[in-house]
Amino acid sequence: MTDPLLSVRDLQKYYYEQDTFVDTLLGRERQSVKAVDGISFDIEPGETLGLVGESGCGKSTTGETLLRLREATGGAVEFDGENVFEMGSDELKAFRKDAQIVFQDPFSSLDPRMTIGDIIAEPLRIHDMPTDPGDKSKREWRRDKASELLERVGLSATQLDRYPHEFSGGQRQRIGVARALALEPEFIVLDEPVSALDVSVQAQVLNLLDDLQTELGLTYLFIAHDLSVVRHICDRVAVMYLGNIVELGPTDELFESPKHPYTEALLESVPRPSTREQGRRVDALSGDVPSPRNPPSGCRFRTRCPKVIPPDDLDIDQEAYRAVMDLRDALVVGDVNPDHIWETADPERVDEEAFIEEARARHVDAELRGDVASVVDTALGHLVDGDVEQTQTVLRETFESPCETRRPGVGDTTHPAACHLYEGSDEVEVIETTADAPVSADD
Amino acid sequence: MADPILKIRDLSTSFFTEEGKVNAVDSVTFDVEDGEIFGIVGESGSGKSVTALSVIDLIDSPGRVTGGEVWYRNADLAEEFRGSRPEAVDGDFVDVRRLPKGVRRSLRGPSFSMIFQDAMSSFNPSITVGEQIAEAVEVQRRARANPRRTRSRTQGYGLGSAILDTFLPNRDYVSNESMDRAVELLDQVGIPDPEDRAEEYPHQFSGGMLQRAMIAQALAGEPDILVADEPTTALDVTIQAQILNLLRDLQEQEGMSILMITHNLGVIARMCDRVGVMYAGEIVERGPLGDIFENPVHPYTQGLLGSVPDIDDPSDRLEPITGNVPSLLESEMPDACYFADRCPKAMTDCMTRIPEYDLDGRHSVRCVLAEREYDEADALEQEVMADD
Ligand SMILES: Nc1ncnc2c1ncn2[C@@H]1O[C@H](COP(=O)(O)OP(=O)(O)O)[C@@H](O)[C@H]1O
Ligand code: SF4
Ligand code: SF4
Ligand SMILES: [Mg+2]
Repeated sequence: MTDPLLSVRDLQKYYYEQDTFVDTLLGRERQSVKAVDGISFDIEPGETLGLVGESGCGKSTTGETLLRLREATGGAVEFDGENVFEMGSDELKAFRKDAQIVFQDPFSSLDPRMTIGDIIAEPLRIHDMPTDPGDKSKREWRRDKASELLERVGLSATQLDRYPHEFSGGQRQRIGVARALALEPEFIVLDEPVSALDVSVQAQVLNLLDDLQTELGLTYLFIAHDLSVVRHICDRVAVMYLGNIVELGPTDELFESPKHPYTEALLESVPRPSTREQGRRVDALSGDVPSPRNPPSGCRFRTRCPKVIPPDDLDIDQEAYRAVMDLRDALVVGDVNPDHIWETADPERVDEEAFIEEARARHVDAELRGDVASVVDTALGHLVDGDVEQTQTVLRETFESPCETRRPGVGDTTHPAACHLYEGSDEVEVIETTADAPVSADD
Repeated sequence: MADPILKIRDLSTSFFTEEGKVNAVDSVTFDVEDGEIFGIVGESGSGKSVTALSVIDLIDSPGRVTGGEVWYRNADLAEEFRGSRPEAVDGDFVDVRRLPKGVRRSLRGPSFSMIFQDAMSSFNPSITVGEQIAEAVEVQRRARANPRRTRSRTQGYGLGSAILDTFLPNRDYVSNESMDRAVELLDQVGIPDPEDRAEEYPHQFSGGMLQRAMIAQALAGEPDILVADEPTTALDVTIQAQILNLLRDLQEQEGMSILMITHNLGVIARMCDRVGVMYAGEIVERGPLGDIFENPVHPYTQGLLGSVPDIDDPSDRLEPITGNVPSLLESEMPDACYFADRCPKAMTDCMTRIPEYDLDGRHSVRCVLAEREYDEADALEQEVMADD
């Protein structure tokens, strides 16, 4: 294998909230949002690496941080063998030529007061290019270059003096690509470049990106949430969840034999435009993505994972186990309210059996049997006097999962998956035993 | 087969703007069967949302429904107006557009209800979610008790912030029963701990949860027809799967019909029995899902399907439609098939307005290819220009 063009190691980017002087004065604790929390990957020259995941999982932050458009909290990025975060101003200037970015929103990413020609030529002007314009003035040279680029992306050079608002979404995205190409970069971060476009126009832009890569030998980091697009355009794919890469592999392999339960769920969820899709009922993941302010301990995906691993000594079927874990998560986020249970079960607050039955009906979404059922009932019994903590403790003693105590690492194979179900991920950092760290659901 | 619940005939809606008349919906015809999910698919600006708003009578100035009929099957209404407005009645159907305004308004809730892409903007940010749903319940309750009196207060309830914000419900207006019912509805749409959640404000809900709450609100009146305009477009794919499951469950439990509007062909495929494809304000092809997806006749339908990357088979190069969605300004609309300037099969025959051809009683299409083969000898000359 050749040396990678880009190499990302343990990249971290935390945003801090309540971090102002006033917050400090008021003694508010600064809160970190772990947008990107230790991710690593390489990109080979000429390849397209896809970065997929749901909104807020850290895709754009990754793209912007590795380009040094945002300051990293930790980790290292090497581009062409050089550490990007330690570059001096000259090296950085060269890096800013070699590595470009195209943003999602074709409506806000172009300055409305500049002509298309000026927008495309702007990076050239900033870098005081060209050094040798030959027999033209620099300005003429840049204008000619902008015409050439405009035609290269499928627009007409006669449109050079028009303004962004005169163009459609697809055309503006082509303009964004032309601008990114102006400095003849090696590497482009494409951040959701077709997400805002209608499918017919999206297909035009995807074909364009494909052609440009072939002709110019470009390397792409392609950020997207649309898995069909990713399958179509990427050589390898990294799947992100809550600031972590959970799986990374060659595209066909990842789509045909996904390893990580999250990847499986994502692929399962996508609605296919085909008659076979009709009436298909997806086993949808339950719940929302937890907040990155307070991510779950151990495996970040454990609050939604249908395969979350029961303790060795517990005899329980998977569905029941997931249901018990959902109950535990509900207790943590405060979704279990004993007063409401009483109100329905017995407003006089006498019939404890009715209380437990109602609690089960509300919060345990599976049929439980044997020991499991009695432990859960015992635990719910503590809710009778509102002792949520004791309920949690009882449940934890029996049901604590290795997925909540140990963080799965990403193995060093060609198709790693960060999940305890795979040997590749055996190198495990021991994490705090969970005192049921809150996993706030949706704020 | 039983009669449809809704028969839309030649519905047209225009916006009268400074630049001129915009024909957003142009002679649209379709049925919604009882208990089915009928889908409308198309790209942005093709007129999907305006069609939805026209059906449920929510077009505001500068827009106006300029023609067509909205036949709604409702034996009681038909009986009520058979004598006084015979032109508005046909068997068990009434033409909603020809009913008195007050009656039309009273249909929002118990007959038609709507959910949108952006749940946040259809809730009032300063009122708890529970109260807003309870208000919708209350309105229906009172309307039922006293059909004529409370109508004005029902106006547009749950149908968008613009209308909602014009009156702030207050606690006095919402009875305890309505509040209890609101909690029940929140529970029905899968909101955990609904009693507490009912007391929270919209911003305290996640996107998926707020979408559920909006669905709860739309269910308050137990509508016959739920219009869902891009209900999952703003959501991530795993949350989208939850909401689609929920909509299907509710549709089965409540026996309602759904008019599902989306640009996502996959969502259409999963959810719909029949589908209409919109382009430039027209339904250009319409029929059962299988016919549309497997034997599309209209070159636009074919192009749309060819543009979507296949997640299960990445090998093919995409075959996009060249060019862009046209302007719907009447002064710029050609006296020809609206797709002619982008159509790879455009012929001289296409240079006139194209009627809707019925292929087999179920599948219809607005394209001359319904009647004739493509012949290169008749091809129109086209300047093909990328994306322009
Ligand atoms: N309030 C309005 N004023 C003027 N034109 C409008 C208005 N609402 C919609 N339109 C126009 O109607 C056409 C169809 O829009 P719409 O139904 O929103 O399309 P879709 O839902 O398919 O994206 C577009 O050309 C749009 O610009
Ligand atoms: S480590 Fe556990 S919770 Fe995480 S994905 Fe694997 S099985 Fe699921
Ligand atoms: S009528 Fe003619 S131009 Fe229009 S879609 Fe059919 S073949 Fe193409
Ligand atoms: Mg719309």
